[in-house]
Amino acid sequence: MPLEGQRLIIEPKFPNGKGLSEIGSPEEVVQDNGEIMRNSFWSTQQRREILVWQNADGSIEWGAVGCGHHFDYDLHTLMCSQAWGIEQESNAVKTLAALVNHHQFRQYMLTGMFIETSKRSGVSYMFRRLKPTVAIKEVNGAMKILCALCLHPIAYYAGSWAGAMCPTDDVLAHLMLMRGDEPSFWKQSNQHPAWKPEAGL
Amino acid sequence: MNIGQVGILNVGTGDTKLSFDKSNPAERIRAARIVADMIRRGYALMVEVERDGVKAFQRVEKFDEEKCEYIIADFDPITAQQADETEVENEQSQIEDEPAPRPATRLKKTSKKNLAAESTRAVAVPRRAGG
Repeated sequence: MPLEGQRLIIEPKFPNGKGLSEIGSPEEVVQDNGEIMRNSFWSTQQRREILVWQNADGSIEWGAVGCGHHFDYDLHTLMCSQAWGIEQESNAVKTLAALVNHHQFRQYMLTGMFIETSKRSGVSYMFRRLKPTVAIKEVNGAMKILCALCLHPIAYYAGSWAGAMCPTDDVLAHLMLMRGDEPSFWKQSNQHPAWKPEAGL
Repeated sequence: MNIGQVGILNVGTGDTKLSFDKSNPAERIRAARIVADMIRRGYALMVEVERDGVKAFQRVEKFDEEKCEYIIADFDPITAQQADETEVENEQSQIEDEPAPRPATRLKKTSKKNLAAESTRAVAVPRRAGG
């Protein structure tokens, strides 16, 4: 469902996927003032993207883009909530209840997250409502975060953790792909490092 | 979600369920057509299987529309890994005993397994857009 001010990114093979993706997409503004982008990299210290550019007079400048927290993501996700309905979410929760054990379901209802370990890889996954799934592995007795896996069936809203489907359906998609086709789950997900705001950690 | 049902994650109306109930042929034919179409369109269909008493989910490769059967790879990665390790050990011991010409490489055939849709629980996940 296209929302005003939110860019919907749809899997391109869906009917009218490309056309619908263009709704709400920002217009490209081309400014030819002689500036050349020289480099961009992630600063772990600042938790921001650093851009380096060359001005028309040849001088080099740099600046930090973004912020060290994920408030923007939270806010955009909140605004996308009008795309979902209580009934759809309720149906998804009922489906989830049939697929996880009582302890996991209780955890999900009370905290919005639960953990399941893959029998194949030994990797534990923390499935979270409206946040990427965290892949964790025990290394020398300590839990190490491998990355946060972000994936949405059909479509998602750019700059948020909201998908076209209701939140629990996204959790279900993650859970089922992990259980049934773990390599494909990793391959199709966007793998965010734990220290990036997009990871939601 | 009951045995013999397919839960489809969906937008709009939310999750929908299909049933392969033998007592309702019209619904069974409709479900079979939808499932076959979903697989053609790249949906990931996960079915519940039981291996050594342990329940797990596995991705469906094909669907037999006439028999209403899911076709999955009958492949257990743990068993296969153990078999591979045994094979390597046997090869090494053979080389140590007497160097023999290396046999031609054979491609291992993955056997298929059919599961009756009316007695299997399944969940369908649409094509993924990334995140």
